[in-house]
Amino acid sequence: MELNVYTPKLAKIVQAKDEVVGTRTIKTFRTEFANGARFDYRCGQCAMLSVFGKGEAMISISSSPLIRDYLQFSILRTGRVTAALHDMEVGDLIGVRGPYGNGFPIDEWRGKNLVFIGGGIGLAPLWSVVQTALLRKSEFGTLSLIYGARTSRDLVFKDELADLKSQMPVHLSIDVAEPDWKEFVGFVPTNVLEKKPSPANTIAITCGPPIMIKFVIKNLKDLKFEDDQIYTTVENKMKCGLGKCGRCNIGFHYVCKDGPVYSWAELKKLPQEY
Amino acid sequence: MEKTLAKKSFSQWVKKLSSWSVYIPRKDEEGRWNYAEADSGGVSLDVLQTTLPPKKILFPQREVFLEFAKTLAGNRETLEIKEVLPEVKPTVIIGARPCEARAAWMLDEVFGGEFKDAYYWRRRDQTALVGFACTIPPSENCFCTSVEGSPHSEEGLDILLTDLGDRYYVQSMTAKGEKLISAAKELFEEPKPEARKQVKAAHAESEKKIRRQLKDARPIAEKLKGMFDSPLWDEESMSCLRCGICTYLCPSCHCFDISDEVDNPSPLRGQRVRTWDTCQFPDFTMHSSGHNPRPDKASRLRQRLLHKFQYFIQVYDKFMCVGCGRCITLCPVGIDIIKVLDKVRDHGA
Repeated sequence: MELNVYTPKLAKIVQAKDEVVGTRTIKTFRTEFANGARFDYRCGQCAMLSVFGKGEAMISISSSPLIRDYLQFSILRTGRVTAALHDMEVGDLIGVRGPYGNGFPIDEWRGKNLVFIGGGIGLAPLWSVVQTALLRKSEFGTLSLIYGARTSRDLVFKDELADLKSQMPVHLSIDVAEPDWKEFVGFVPTNVLEKKPSPANTIAITCGPPIMIKFVIKNLKDLKFEDDQIYTTVENKMKCGLGKCGRCNIGFHYVCKDGPVYSWAELKKLPQEY
Repeated sequence: MEKTLAKKSFSQWVKKLSSWSVYIPRKDEEGRWNYAEADSGGVSLDVLQTTLPPKKILFPQREVFLEFAKTLAGNRETLEIKEVLPEVKPTVIIGARPCEARAAWMLDEVFGGEFKDAYYWRRRDQTALVGFACTIPPSENCFCTSVEGSPHSEEGLDILLTDLGDRYYVQSMTAKGEKLISAAKELFEEPKPEARKQVKAAHAESEKKIRRQLKDARPIAEKLKGMFDSPLWDEESMSCLRCGICTYLCPSCHCFDISDEVDNPSPLRGQRVRTWDTCQFPDFTMHSSGHNPRPDKASRLRQRLLHKFQYFIQVYDKFMCVGCGRCITLCPVGIDIIKVLDKVRDHGA
């Protein structure tokens, strides 16, 4: 039978972890394919997840492609499908199709310093690159992370971040002061100016809410980063993931197929339609 | 292969195609012309423009992608997914207008490429298109000659029929076309030399009968690249009712939705379906957060025109408009794509 690009593979939820509870609930899931199917992907690619009876949602893969035992997704509860995903438990079956998108050009970054800049759930797509860069540490220069959320409760991967501090500089921030908070208080773009990453032989990779990305890029430019030293990801509503259904385009680019990863040099040439 | 077919033999030819599903323009109960399966009654090509193009035969308005069902055995729940690919018997669309076949030639690009769409190609591979040259323009808003087509263009067609009074001139371009002729070869005759002359003259004459014109479509495509932020989109979209007719009735529009339908909630049973969608609806691009990159009528009209006259050309070097004029004829508020693009061309001139 011919290959059908719309048919998902069945995957079992093997781990479901609360990342953030409260008004903006985030859960992290790990899945394994029911029949041991192969799923090769690159950092920064996405997968279309199915909850049968509810529909599909495009989610970035937050695990490293070098870890072959599971796929990891960190999901903000926001619409019908993500709400249904949050109600699922270990052992439940979902559908997975993909991977989709171009991914980060990590091989082009060999020999360079990488500074990751994330906000809120935006750490999820970065996490795949962070984990991969750590596993291939000898290939890169220095690694560092600048990450923030609205409150300390809204930070994702809290346990993993504590471990990460032993492996690279990690600069955390929250938007408003809290009694026990010892790190930076303020927005992520402000923390970028505060920490002043050097542009010398460095790639900055940023992901987060659109307004954060906008000001992070502005501040990186102030720190003398060139357009092609800045990478980000774009998000738009998607249905097919294949550049056919017609809704995620910015100009003639389909974000699902030609994105979601863009250097600022590429993205600034496209219309602001995201 | 070139032949002629006497008009009085046309119905017999259609009857001979009994192992094919034959679609031909037919009048529905409400008096509208549309492509529908031919039955044993008489068939005729004596029809102007149908309301819907034959797009739905290759790309149905609703189609099932897969079925899902949960079953409960003891306290063990199992989930089963069944892929539903269409079983299609050989199909022929007779009387398709050359522009409608050009639209299929455009859809082939969309549903082909790196990710082949199995649902589309199951139908497309089995379908032959027998076109009917427009010696009489089927609509007052036809402008095919402005978008690199013509009333007798061959792209996407297997056979082109041209009306020569008491007979059709029959040009077959593909193996599929030859198969259709050989199904009733006794009805077809070798064309006489004067028939060849007549068909050439009829084709040349047909181009002159197209009444509407969009001048300089390629330069307009180039100019559109600099007009994303123009106030023109606001002005031109003011009267839009966002009904989506311009896209649903368009032969080349192909945007779609994928959603799950539940027949039984517990134990779960239902299907995943693909349905036509339109860039003219506000929730087409709305994120679940409420953010919408195309939040107003202006940005949605712009998307429709830029997709057809800029983006598609950037990717495939073709317009995504065949010039059939349906979006002009059927728009309830008279938004006219030619007039809007005229303004683009004349902008700043």
